[in-house]
Amino acid sequence: MLHLQPNNLLIQKTLAEASEALQAGAPLTFDRIISDFDYTNFHVSNTNENRTQLFLSVRTKAWQSILECDGGAQGVLPYLAAKYTRLPGVTVATPCEAGFDYTLAIDLEQLAPETVQQLSLLKTNIMSFPFHLAFQEFVTLSAANPTTTTVQVGKFNEETGNVSSYDVSKTLYTIQYRDNENMFIKPSNDRITVIFETFFQDETDKVFGKVFLQEFVDARKRNRDIQSAPQVLFSTEPPLELQGHLPQGNEIADEASKRFITFVLFPRHFANDELQFKTVAQLTLFRNYFHYHIKCSKAYMHSRMRYRVDTFVKVLNRAKVDEDEDEAKETKRTITGRKMVY
Amino acid sequence: MSQSLRPYLTAVRYSLEAALTLTNFPSQEVERHNRPEIEVPNTSAELLLQPMHIARSETEQVLIEPSVNSVRVSLMVKQADEIEQILVHKFTMFLEQRAEAFYILRRVPVKGYSISFLITNKHTESMKTAKLVDFIIEFMEEVDKEISEMKLFLNARARFVANEYLGEFVY
Amino acid sequence: MSYLNNPAVVMDNGTGLTKLGFAGNDSPSWIFPTAIATSQGNSTASKKTTGASSGATSGTGSGNPYFGNSTSATSFNNLNSNMLLSNNLAGKRGTEDLDFYIGNEALIASQGPSYSLSYPIKHGQVENWDHMERFWENSIFKYLRTEPEDHYFLLTEPPLNPPENREQVAEIFFESFNCAGLYIAVQAVLALAASWTSSKVTDRSLTGTVIDSGDGVTHVIPVAEGFVIGSAIKNIPIAGRDITLFIQQLLRERGEADTSLRTAERIKQEYCYVCPDIVKEFNKFDQNPDKFAQFIVENQEKTQKKVVDVGYERFLAPEIFFNPEIASSDFLTPLPITVDHTIQACPIDVRKALYHNIVLSGGSTMFKDFGRRLQRDLKSIVNNRIAQSEMLSGTKSTGVDVSVITHRKQRNAVWFGGSLLAQTAEFKSYCHTKQDYDEYGPEIVRNFSLFNMV
Repeated sequence: MLHLQPNNLLIQKTLAEASEALQAGAPLTFDRIISDFDYTNFHVSNTNENRTQLFLSVRTKAWQSILECDGGAQGVLPYLAAKYTRLPGVTVATPCEAGFDYTLAIDLEQLAPETVQQLSLLKTNIMSFPFHLAFQEFVTLSAANPTTTTVQVGKFNEETGNVSSYDVSKTLYTIQYRDNENMFIKPSNDRITVIFETFFQDETDKVFGKVFLQEFVDARKRNRDIQSAPQVLFSTEPPLELQGHLPQGNEIADEASKRFITFVLFPRHFANDELQFKTVAQLTLFRNYFHYHIKCSKAYMHSRMRYRVDTFVKVLNRAKVDEDEDEAKETKRTITGRKMVY
Repeated sequence: MSQSLRPYLTAVRYSLEAALTLTNFPSQEVERHNRPEIEVPNTSAELLLQPMHIARSETEQVLIEPSVNSVRVSLMVKQADEIEQILVHKFTMFLEQRAEAFYILRRVPVKGYSISFLITNKHTESMKTAKLVDFIIEFMEEVDKEISEMKLFLNARARFVANEYLGEFVY
Repeated sequence: MSYLNNPAVVMDNGTGLTKLGFAGNDSPSWIFPTAIATSQGNSTASKKTTGASSGATSGTGSGNPYFGNSTSATSFNNLNSNMLLSNNLAGKRGTEDLDFYIGNEALIASQGPSYSLSYPIKHGQVENWDHMERFWENSIFKYLRTEPEDHYFLLTEPPLNPPENREQVAEIFFESFNCAGLYIAVQAVLALAASWTSSKVTDRSLTGTVIDSGDGVTHVIPVAEGFVIGSAIKNIPIAGRDITLFIQQLLRERGEADTSLRTAERIKQEYCYVCPDIVKEFNKFDQNPDKFAQFIVENQEKTQKKVVDVGYERFLAPEIFFNPEIASSDFLTPLPITVDHTIQACPIDVRKALYHNIVLSGGSTMFKDFGRRLQRDLKSIVNNRIAQSEMLSGTKSTGVDVSVITHRKQRNAVWFGGSLLAQTAEFKSYCHTKQDYDEYGPEIVRNFSLFNMV
C-alpha cells in the first residue's frame, strides 16, 4: 500500500453490514467504536426499538479549533449539514451524542452507495471546512487585488521571505489536530499557504523524518513531471506567516525538535470543487502519510537486518569444527551407506 | 574498496591471529571457576596482555584486548552523520538482541565502541581460529556496506514517497 | 494526555484467521485470513493493474471481499479478482516491500500470476517475521486506520510461546510502529475472561480449563489463577478442518451433486449439531424423515442450482470429537477423556476448580449441544472414578462438580476477552509503554503483570 485513502474502510464495512442485515430481515444492534487517524473516533450505534436508524457520531481532536476557526461563528455546522442532508435518509441529530462532537442519523432503508462513500469521508469533510473558508477568502482577495504573478512561479521559489509584498489575509486558520502539532492555513491574493508543524517523539523518527521532509522539498526541483505540484518549503523556525500567530502555551513543547513544512497552493490546485476536495484530502493525510512511510521504512530495515543476521550466523557456523566430519573419516561404511559397527 | 581499507583490515587480521592463542585457564581466585579473565576485575596483571588499538580514522577503530583465556574485540563502526549514527545504533541493537545465535557476540559493547565480541578458549576449541578471524573481518566489511546501503535505501524511499505524494497534486 | 480517549487496539492473530478491533466493541471489526500475498521478485512481465478504482469501492452490495467477515482461512467466498484495489505499485523498483496485500485481498491477489500467498503464522506461532511485520503494518494503517503512536495494543500469543518471540513482537511494535503501549496476553487466559459474560459464571476467577478448537488443532489448556499449566497442555489433532473433510468424504461417498470443500463447510456451519447418542439418533432419522435437510448450492451467477442432501452427517460430523475412530485411524482418544487426563495431570489442589470451570472457545466448539454432551461424558468419567475410590477407601467423597460453560461470544472468545480486559481503566497500567521499552530494552516484555479483576 502506497497511499492512504481518505475514506474510512471500516465505516463502509459497518454500514454495509448494517444494511445487509436489515435487508435480510435480521437487523443488528450496533454499538461500535471505529477509529481514524489523529485522535478521531466514530461511534456507530442504534437503539433496540428502532433498528433501521443508525447514528454515526464523531469525536475528533481538531473539532474545537475548527469550530472556532471562523471567529466563533461555528460555520462548520451548517457546512456539514449542507453536505450530508442532501443525501437521502441522512439527517443531523441534535443534540449530538454525549461525549461526541457531531452526530448524523442515517435511515438504513434509504442507504445508497453514494451515502456510504460520503459518510466514510466524514473526517475529511470536517477537516476541509477551514480549507473551504480559505478558498472563499482567496476568491475575494484575488478579486480585490488581481495579480499576474501566478505565471512566474519559478521566480519566487527561493525567496519566499518577501511574502509581505503581497496582499495577505489577516486571518490564519489554525487546526489543532494533534497535541503538539498544528496545521495553519493562510490565504492570500495569489496563493494559499498551508503550514504543518511537525514534532517527533522518537529519536529515530526525528532523523528519518528529516530525510523524508528534505526530499519533499527537493522532489519538485528534481522531477520535471511534478512541476505543477505545490511548492514545499521546510524550516526549523516558524515561517513568517506564523509570526505572532502561534498559539499561546505552545512554547512548553520542545521547540528544538519542531519543524515547519509549508505547502504553497496555487490557484490551479483548487480551481474547482473536485480539485479542492482532492487537495484537501491529500493535505489532511500528509502527516499520516509520511509517518506511515517512516514506519514502513523501519519495517523494511528490520527485514534487511534479519537477512543480515542470517548470513552472519551462516558465516560464523562455518567456523565450527564439524564433529561428524572427523568421525566420517574414521568410521567405515558399507556400500549402502550404513555405518560399520564393531 | 578504498585504498586505506585493505591495510586496515590486514592489520586487524594479523593482530587477531596473534591474539587468538588461548588456553584453558581456571580461575586463580575462585575454586572450580573458569571465567574469561578479560571480563573480571583482575588483580593478577600477568593474565592480561597489552591491548592493541588499531585505528583507520577517528570513527573507525578496533580495540583488541587479549588475556590468557579470552580476547575481547571491540569495533567502532563508521558514523559520518546522524543518520548513520541511528542506523548503526539500530543495527547493533538488533544484533545484540540475537546474541544467542552469534556465540561470540557480547550483549553490551565496551564503552565508546559500537559492538564487541568476546572470544574465549571454549570458542577456539570448538571453532576454527582462522575462520573466526575471517568472520570478524567479513563482519567489519559487511557492516559498513550494510549501513551505507540502508542509508541509500532511506534516501531513495524518501524521494519516492515525496514524489508520489506530490504527484497526486498534478492534475 | 489524549491517549485517554483513544480505544485500545485488540489484535488476535491466529493460525487461520486474524481478528482485529477496538476495546469496548462486542465483536472484532475485521476478521480475515492471516494471509499475505507478496509480489514475486522479478514479475515485471505482468504489469496488470486490476480494477483501477482506487478507494472508490462504493456499494453496499454483498460479496464485496472487504465487507464480509471470514469464517474460514482458506475459502474464497465468491471472491472476484476485479474487486481488488490496485496499490499501483506493480513493477516499480525499490518498493517491493510495499507491494503486498493481506487478508481477503491476499487471497484474491494470489489468484493472479504476480503474487504468492503465504501464511506467516504456523501452529499459532509466528514463523515469518518479515511477513508478519508487514501484515501488522497493513492491518494498522489500512484496516484499522490508527496511528499506533496514539493507541495501546493488546496482542495475543499461544500458550508456551517462547519469550524470544515476545521480544521480537515488542521490537516490531515499539521500534517500527512506536506504539504507545503494549500488552501481550495468553489466548487461553483471554478465553477464560470472555466466559465471564455467561450467566453461569458467578466468580470472575482466572482458573479453568480452556478448550480451544479452531481450524487446525484443538488445545486443552488448564489455567490456574491466570497462569497456564504448561506441562499439562494437551493437543488433539482434530479440529474444524477435519470435520469439513469428513463431511466432504461422506458427500462424495453418497455421490452428491456438489462435493466441494465450500459446500461441506457451509453444511458444517449451518446444519451440524451434537447428539446425545448416535444409535438413537440414527433411529430418529429413520423414523422421522424431516430430519434430513437439503442444501442448495448456487453458482456465482446464480443461474444454476444444485441440490445437496444433508443426512446423517448432521450429527456424525461433530461426533468425531467424541468418537474419533469414525474419521481418523491414528488418533483415537475422545475429547472428554483428553480433558480428564489434562486435569488429572495438574496439581491436585486446582483440579476441582478446573473441573468446575471448563470454557469453550473457537469456531469448532459452536455446535449445538457441544457443551452439554461434553459435560455429560466428563461427568460420567469423573463419577466412575469417585465411585471406585469410595469403594476402595471406604470413605465418602464430597463430589466433584463438572461444569462446561458455553456462551454467546464463543467464536471469537479470545478476541472478546481481550476487548473486555483492554477497556478497563486499569489496562493501561498493566501495559509496557514506549518509554519503558526505550529505557530497558525488549526484555521488559518477558513479564506482564496479570489482570486481577475481582
